[in-house]
Amino acid sequence: MTADGALAVAGFVVIASGVAAYVLLDGYDLGVAAVSLWIGKTDRERATAMDAIGPFWNGNEVWLVAAGASLFAIFPRAYAASFSGFYLPFTIVLWLLMARGIALELRGHFPSDLWHQFWDAAFSISSTLLIFVFGLALGNLLRGLPLDAFGYFQGTFAFLLNPYALLIGGFAIAALANHGTLFLWMRTSGDLERASRALAGGLYWAVAALYVAASAGTFAVRGTPPPVFAVAMTAVSVAALAGMRVAWRRGSAALAFGASAAFTASLLVGAAASMFPYLLPGYPLGSGGLSIFDAAPSATSLICALSVSVVGGIAVVAYGSVVAGKMAGKAGVE
Amino acid sequence: MDVVAADRAQFAFTIAFHYLFPIGTIGLAPFVAWYTWKAVRRPEDGVSARAARFWTKIFTINFAIGVVSGIPMEFQFGTNWAIFSDRTGAVIGQPLAMESVFAFFLESIFLGVLLYRRNAEPTKFQAVAAAFVWLGSWLSGFFIVATNAWMQHPVGFYIGPGGKIVLESIAAVLLSSYAWWQFAHVLCGALLAGGFVVAGVGAYYLLSRRDEAAARSFVRAGTIVAATFSLLAIFPTGDKNGDDVTRAQPVKLAAMEGLYESTPGAPLAIVGMPDSQNMRLIDPIYVPSLLSFLAYGNFHAEVKGLRDYGRDLWPPVALTYYAYHVMVGLGTIFVAVGVVAAALLFWGDRLFGTRAVLWVLMLMLPFPYIANEAGWMTAEVGRQPWIVYDVMRTAAGISPNVASGEVLFTLIGFAGVYFLLGTLFVYLVLHEIAAGPA
Repeated sequence: MTADGALAVAGFVVIASGVAAYVLLDGYDLGVAAVSLWIGKTDRERATAMDAIGPFWNGNEVWLVAAGASLFAIFPRAYAASFSGFYLPFTIVLWLLMARGIALELRGHFPSDLWHQFWDAAFSISSTLLIFVFGLALGNLLRGLPLDAFGYFQGTFAFLLNPYALLIGGFAIAALANHGTLFLWMRTSGDLERASRALAGGLYWAVAALYVAASAGTFAVRGTPPPVFAVAMTAVSVAALAGMRVAWRRGSAALAFGASAAFTASLLVGAAASMFPYLLPGYPLGSGGLSIFDAAPSATSLICALSVSVVGGIAVVAYGSVVAGKMAGKAGVE
Repeated sequence: MDVVAADRAQFAFTIAFHYLFPIGTIGLAPFVAWYTWKAVRRPEDGVSARAARFWTKIFTINFAIGVVSGIPMEFQFGTNWAIFSDRTGAVIGQPLAMESVFAFFLESIFLGVLLYRRNAEPTKFQAVAAAFVWLGSWLSGFFIVATNAWMQHPVGFYIGPGGKIVLESIAAVLLSSYAWWQFAHVLCGALLAGGFVVAGVGAYYLLSRRDEAAARSFVRAGTIVAATFSLLAIFPTGDKNGDDVTRAQPVKLAAMEGLYESTPGAPLAIVGMPDSQNMRLIDPIYVPSLLSFLAYGNFHAEVKGLRDYGRDLWPPVALTYYAYHVMVGLGTIFVAVGVVAAALLFWGDRLFGTRAVLWVLMLMLPFPYIANEAGWMTAEVGRQPWIVYDVMRTAAGISPNVASGEVLFTLIGFAGVYFLLGTLFVYLVLHEIAAGPA
């Protein structure tokens, strides 16, 4: 492989890691939102659920912005083609992000039950839809997209709503709702803690069932046998899924949350490995697509962008962990 | 609607709305940090802890709306300006990636700490967090301005095969003097706005005879900051920005000044309405030869007029002209108000009893925002018809596969969402101000 090729591969790893960090971190606060209406029966409980993610969600969401900006710097062609190709879906994502961000920030500023109820619903609905849209996007990436010679999407909105992508969307909701519920279990106390644990017990079976369905669907859609790496990742996913159950039975919230993170990460790594080297695979699969080698700029740009992402990413993880450690403990306990 | 016009209208609308909030966070962050630090150092004074809590709340509302209206800006490069992003991403992707990785994370993660501890007694850790939020907000401003400065005055690149813009030196992009002077000027604008906001809220409490101790502190701190940065906004930063425009973008200068004919000893138009059909200013009031002096340091120098450039190189003249004159006019008023208020303050605190000046300080509140917007419009509208000055035209940068109907749909959507956000913002900030620094 040439030096430029190696840089492009490194760029792929950086973008995939950024997206994975986003899904794992913002994933739990999106998941908390998705279940907050079911789990929080009173105004106070819903406020506590929001407080549990309050100090973290903003930093978590920056991973999305950082992954997007890194894509811009590392693969400008892919950034341009995907954002403009999926004009309406991206705009919908934006509006949903706005709705939930505003709901989180503004709920607490005004002491009125109706004000709270409105924002609670806006928060939960917009977050659930966001997870669904992200899952839909991942499903379509795995299934391939009709692209023109420059890598711009040529299909319709309706094309994106195929059964496989809808299945992945549903799986994403279950997996992240479970992820968020485990986080709530870890971060809350009393009734909310008990309710989270009970809900996680039920959600587990939804996650397991949809995992089997999604795996079967992926085999059906992608046809070709997956690379060795993807097989290894399946082993990790199954082990993490089993570990999650064991931790739940033993009543260890932190372990269960960790297992859920490992489960989600293994799925994402598997997905990235099977897409490689394409950023936007063509439809039908095997018809090419927009690869990292088509989209990469000059070595000067790549080296700059990769150094920024790697150095910055390590720094963020370092100080982010210190800060999170300072804010550890149960929410809603004064 | 023509698709280029729709794309431009959407970007202009969303950036104009978004820009109001970074002004608030960049301008208020130092006050939050300073009051938090004071509250830790001298918890007995009773005012600082309340002031820190109060300004943290206002800051948080600002930040929240700033974030949600800021993410669309990054998205729009890709959604609406795909060809621009594809051609220039190798360069402008760098400062944008640095912004999110080095600045936005810093600001967001440490703001989480301030939120988490918002009702507790301030601690050292909180003061450190507030300082990092401040640093993050300013760094963020720098990287965004550096991106814009490159579009105004591109450096550190060459044009490769297929018209691709290739990065030659990231140091040249980040260390460009154009970027640093532009950033200094933007900082002055945001800080004078922050100063006038803090002073204005303090003046409101003093006039209403409530929260006197906090109010005096607000008026004092706000007035000093507002006066200092109003002066620095004009000299040296405004002056240096003017020099850069004269050198790099002479057509913009001519449009800003409404100068149609090339003139030796060009006069400065204080007022007047540009009439591009007949290439003249209607009802002007001139200061003779001043423009030549400001542009070239020589009362007899020739300043090139718009007529010397092809019409296809003109920016929209009237908008550039008015935006520039609104900025300069308001900037002059800020200096006058700031200096008078500061003089009364240093003259044995007479400011606190001078109700007329307190009224002026309170009513001043919206104007720094208007001046900042007008300044940004001067820079951006005046940059037209270029998206990257002298390198790429705005019309050539749009997404090829997005129709004007789609853009119109999202533009109308943004208008609705932002109307709601703006209303909520005003409502919540007024609510916090009414509740006061309790």
